[in-house]
Amino acid sequence: MELSPFQLLEVMVAVAALLMLGTTNVRTNLTMFAAHTTFLAITAAAVGHIRHEHTLYAIAIMFFLIKAVGAPYFLRLIMKTIEVKLDIGAYIPTPIALHTGIILMGVSYLLARELPGAYVSADATYGAAASLSLIFVGVLMMVTRRLALSQIVGFLVLENGIFMFTLVKTHGMPMAVEMGILLDVLVVVMIAGLLLFRIKKSFEHIDVTKLTELRD
Amino acid sequence: MNVLLELSVIPLIAALFSAAVRSRIVVRRTVAVLMWAQTALALYLLLPVFNGARLAMPSADFLIDKTAASFIILTVIVVSASVTHASVLYGQERQTHDSRMFFAFTSIFMVAMIAVFTCNNLAVMWICIEASTLFSAPLVYLERTKTAVEATWKYLIICSVGIAFALLGTVMIFAAGQSTANSEGSLQISQLVLNAPKLDSSLLRLGFVFCFIGYGTKAGVFPLHNWLPDAYSEAPSPACAIFSGALINCALFGIFRISQIVLASKNGHIGFEMMAIVVAGAISALAASLFLINQHNLKRMWAYSSIENVGIMLVAIGIGSGSLFLLQAINHSVAKVAMFLQSGNVIRVTGSKRLSNLHGLISFAPEQALLLALTTCAVMGVPPFGTFCSELSVLVSSADARLWVVAGMLIVSLTVSFIAVCLHVGRIVCGTPRPDYRRLPAFTSCAMPLLLLASSLALGFLFNSHVWNLLK
Repeated sequence: MELSPFQLLEVMVAVAALLMLGTTNVRTNLTMFAAHTTFLAITAAAVGHIRHEHTLYAIAIMFFLIKAVGAPYFLRLIMKTIEVKLDIGAYIPTPIALHTGIILMGVSYLLARELPGAYVSADATYGAAASLSLIFVGVLMMVTRRLALSQIVGFLVLENGIFMFTLVKTHGMPMAVEMGILLDVLVVVMIAGLLLFRIKKSFEHIDVTKLTELRD
Repeated sequence: MNVLLELSVIPLIAALFSAAVRSRIVVRRTVAVLMWAQTALALYLLLPVFNGARLAMPSADFLIDKTAASFIILTVIVVSASVTHASVLYGQERQTHDSRMFFAFTSIFMVAMIAVFTCNNLAVMWICIEASTLFSAPLVYLERTKTAVEATWKYLIICSVGIAFALLGTVMIFAAGQSTANSEGSLQISQLVLNAPKLDSSLLRLGFVFCFIGYGTKAGVFPLHNWLPDAYSEAPSPACAIFSGALINCALFGIFRISQIVLASKNGHIGFEMMAIVVAGAISALAASLFLINQHNLKRMWAYSSIENVGIMLVAIGIGSGSLFLLQAINHSVAKVAMFLQSGNVIRVTGSKRLSNLHGLISFAPEQALLLALTTCAVMGVPPFGTFCSELSVLVSSADARLWVVAGMLIVSLTVSFIAVCLHVGRIVCGTPRPDYRRLPAFTSCAMPLLLLASSLALGFLFNSHVWNLLK
């Protein structure tokens, strides 16, 4: 199997995200998130280069600054302030989560082959498979992790997956729309981050499974 | 100047004013007045739409048709009524939270909601709906209690993730327009409706499913409704009124726009997608009515009643009738806003949200008890209130479309919820009052719910007359 450099980049994005499932160390998770988001930003710039769309360069730079630098930095700041290092645990053990992620990556490749749609180069299957895989990883993180901080990271991975899907499957959304979406995501992370302080203050932990005061 | 900008000016001024001015008395009075000024402005700007006028918008990504104009007017009235009631309420007793924050965030929140209805672009609509989530989250958090933190977290995370799926769906619908070679594709709803038969059907269907899941989460469709009762029970009553009377409509409007594209792609035939909306609606209504039976919290009870109404509105959307959706939305909003405001009064009289603590209102505060009972009738669809007409119309239409099972489910859910709610409210009204109840000034606290109740009554009598035909 031969991969072009561009396809390799796309696969790298998915693999870097997949590695996040392999550890519950929050700091490593954030580093891996930053790495995978950086790969995604480079992919965006590469797509811009292939399609000669210069607005994509600007989007890639904004994406890099907000998601690969800003969000991880902000989350690390919170991590230090509320003193969490390890996720208190997941519903399923990390090795099983990682293997589920790998299986889902295979599933997303099968799904991506079935999807019709616009193509960047000759074949968008790898890109689409990577983006679906990101969405799976994000959902898996949100569902299995108990730490509220990890849920925010999972949400960001999910958003990255959707961004990548837009990148490889469409001719690109208008610049203003992409910026609006980025801004919305940024605000979600900021509000959720500030809420984390409040949760820590009121509950003295940020374990979402123990947030069960409200029920019928 | 375009209409969107003109409609945003007053709320933005109100938001800045309430953030900058320190005097709470000045803020609450000024914002209430500003909101009614906004209502007048919205009526002045949007009424020409019903005569077929086209309004100046910033770009082709924005468009106000009759349905959108009706929803904007409804939203503005709902917010004005809630803010006025909050203004009265905050004047009568010391609050645990900063009332200026309530007014500031409500004003920005209103801008986001108005923007949702003006969108003619799926992605811009997504941004506006997400923005409405973000600006309303602080309203859930206002009380700053432990439970409020929990409710806000659930609201923010569940809705954000849900809406992320709607973004994926939006991208898929965008991609559906580009599947053939050399087609640029479009995100504009009017363009998509026009070219609907040419869209790639499998991508459109996938996109629809994701959008429905996403916006359905925001609307509180069963089984994605978990956050909704929590948020409603923790937010202050005027904020609940806005959530139920305006925010739900925003999410449903998103589903309605998507359903227009889907309907056009099948040349007006009700296919798999529309049936999915109808079935999801019927199941939501039925499930919510079952949840209503065993309730222990007054505001959670009305939250489930809202979910039931979401179900009814989804059935209306799924049948393909935008006017029926609008009719039910108007009637539900007016009645439910009155209900939440009046429930706020009851909670202030009794000092508790728990149904087991609420008894004997009729002997302690007869005017509050009477208003609560009447508003319950209005919400549950007792004739001659407007909700009766709209719920009956949805039922008749679903039977006309030969959806017998759905009509049956709606009848069962309406009956069950009516009995359950009447039992709960009956216990609040009758019995012996507890000694720690407090008196409320009757006139000022009842004014706004009474006005809305009268509107609901008027809507019942106006049904099928000239005004309604104009909306259609």
